[in-house]
Amino acid sequence: MMKRFTSAVLSKRRALLACCAVGAVMMASPAMAAEFVLGSELPLTGKLARVGTGMSEGIAIAIDLANAKYAGQHHFSVQTIDDETNPAKAVAAVEKLASDHVVAITGGYGSNIIGPASEAAAKAGLVYMTSGGVAPELTQRGLDSFFRINNADGYGKAMVGLIETMGAKSVAILYSNKEATAAMATYVQKALTDKGIKITSHEFDDTTTDFKPIMNKVKLQDRPEVVAMIGYENDYIGILRAGAVLKPDVKAMVGVWSLATAQMNKEFHDQVQGVYGTSPLPYPVVFKGGEAQDFAAAYMNKYNREPDYLQQFGYVQTMLLIDAIARAHDNDGKIEAGEIARELRATTTPTMIGDVTFDKNGDNPNFTHRMGQHQGDRVELVWPANAATAKMNYPAVPW
Amino acid sequence: MKHRMVVLVALVLAYGAVPLLLGSMDYVMSLIIAALTIGGVALAWALLGNLGGLVSFGHAAFFGVGAYTSAILVVDHHWPVLLAMVAGGVGAAVASVATMPALRLRGPYFALAILAYGHIFRILAVEATSLTGGAAGMLSIPGFPTLLGINLASKTGAYALILTIVLLFAWLYGLIRRSTYGLALRAMHDSELATRVVGVPSTHLKAAMLVISAFMTGVVGAFNAHQINFLDPEYAFASSWTVLPIAAAIFGGYRTVWGPVLGALVVFLVDQLVFKELMPSGHQLVFGVLLGGMVILGPHGLLPLLGRWSKKEASHAGA
Repeated sequence: MMKRFTSAVLSKRRALLACCAVGAVMMASPAMAAEFVLGSELPLTGKLARVGTGMSEGIAIAIDLANAKYAGQHHFSVQTIDDETNPAKAVAAVEKLASDHVVAITGGYGSNIIGPASEAAAKAGLVYMTSGGVAPELTQRGLDSFFRINNADGYGKAMVGLIETMGAKSVAILYSNKEATAAMATYVQKALTDKGIKITSHEFDDTTTDFKPIMNKVKLQDRPEVVAMIGYENDYIGILRAGAVLKPDVKAMVGVWSLATAQMNKEFHDQVQGVYGTSPLPYPVVFKGGEAQDFAAAYMNKYNREPDYLQQFGYVQTMLLIDAIARAHDNDGKIEAGEIARELRATTTPTMIGDVTFDKNGDNPNFTHRMGQHQGDRVELVWPANAATAKMNYPAVPW
Repeated sequence: MKHRMVVLVALVLAYGAVPLLLGSMDYVMSLIIAALTIGGVALAWALLGNLGGLVSFGHAAFFGVGAYTSAILVVDHHWPVLLAMVAGGVGAAVASVATMPALRLRGPYFALAILAYGHIFRILAVEATSLTGGAAGMLSIPGFPTLLGINLASKTGAYALILTIVLLFAWLYGLIRRSTYGLALRAMHDSELATRVVGVPSTHLKAAMLVISAFMTGVVGAFNAHQINFLDPEYAFASSWTVLPIAAAIFGGYRTVWGPVLGALVVFLVDQLVFKELMPSGHQLVFGVLLGGMVILGPHGLLPLLGRWSKKEASHAGA
């Protein structure tokens, strides 16, 4: 009886010691499991609703895959607020997310909205990560907490590279007077002029719907080999419709973002044939590499359709942020904006859009884009040569 | 006496209770500040409509001009923010002089003409790139200073500032309304021809109301620029700076002094704090239904409706 009692006491002591030992190990290890809530401020309604929703879907996939990657260690979730494509509401959204104690912010679309929203995030001591604003001014404000994975130069380099490959001698640039588009037009104009290409430029107001007067000037006065369009979806369609009516004698119509996409191919199939635009992926999508394939499968599983570049960028920016949060937490068990920012700057990460490195301004100097061309029901990558999925159709215009 | 007590209690609540209870909640404070900003424009719009008899669809023009004037003076010429805000109001008042040819028009013609002016000012802001930054706008506009130990850049400070601005404008509106000019203006509202016959200089009075209304809107626009530290033509001259204040003024009761402010607070805060929580996307739909219902059930607005309801309660209590 006494022996059984002693044994029971010893067994309890051992259990207690074991518990203490496990507890001590857990206390000593900085890598404790933790719950992280990310904030996301995005335009889900208003003028930028489509692109905002696209990025939001990419963020959701990043959260799902991060929870699989860090299963048993950390758990991530996202709190999203619709900024209604309004700068003041974007600021209010960031303030609400800050008051709800999110660890960092991923999202934002439109340089004019990202500007004030990221300043509000900086005031609240939160890292702001985006792929929705490419205006150069955003990274020239000296904000330590602002990061973006893409920039106007990357888009510009791709457009200039394609036009150079075409061997065009003259280009007419049609660009919206918005901040990002005007900045990119300046970049493209300078780069092409330096290469000895004759340039004419036409700025248009972002509310313009009838492009026939500009297209008439291009046709009768400029007579370029290539028309470069720097605007947004509605601008491209307006310009291409004006082109279809006036039929200028050009060899190529080249745009930038939001043009060489699956959605544009489906919705404006005839109007966009032969037209070029920046595109990280061909359509139908071909993903190479484990992470990219996991992303595509997870997206297809969740939304029952193929991902676009918007989801891809949303995914990449959020995954970079999540990894930085996890590293910062695992270092010393604390999460502060300064530590997340330090982690982001300290690491070069291979991603689906190439290696991402952040400089002191939060910009990614490695960012370069690819150019796609609408060819029938497909969007083929045609530039650079090492990423091409098909040969460039040149000359080719939709009319 | 009773009226003074109500005003005193309201002031104590506005300056004391709100910052004490909600001061730590940045998000709620920023919504209240935004609501008061809309309230300030609604008040200015109602002044022009109620006293000048003019329905304006172009107050966004004055809002934008005031915002840009103040931002440019602070950023490029290093003016003190508070002084630049007053200058913003003056800038909008000067801009309103350009719209005065529209005073020859009446009803929907005036409304449309002033809407066109709003569009013109937006284009000017886009084109004057060297002055306004063009379509790119102005980032990192300096915020409010510290005054008498109060940090006006904080949420509580900014709230106190916009509250003071709105109260001063409401006081000015009430003063004009009660004056002989106000009497003439209200008579003009009923029959302009009759008042002109008895010697009221109706065009001069309408012009004066337009200038005052533009000044008020300009100051509020300037406040907003320094509050969110950002401006671009699309935002500064957005039609929402006209539509929301009109909706708020009509909802609250645009024939009263406090109706537009109350309307802005109710409309904006209920929409953002309740409807947006329930319906993150498409909450404006509920707001539209609410506004439609209000116009049908209480065409004079919320404040007169509450007044009638409280009188009824009092008479029931008396009986």
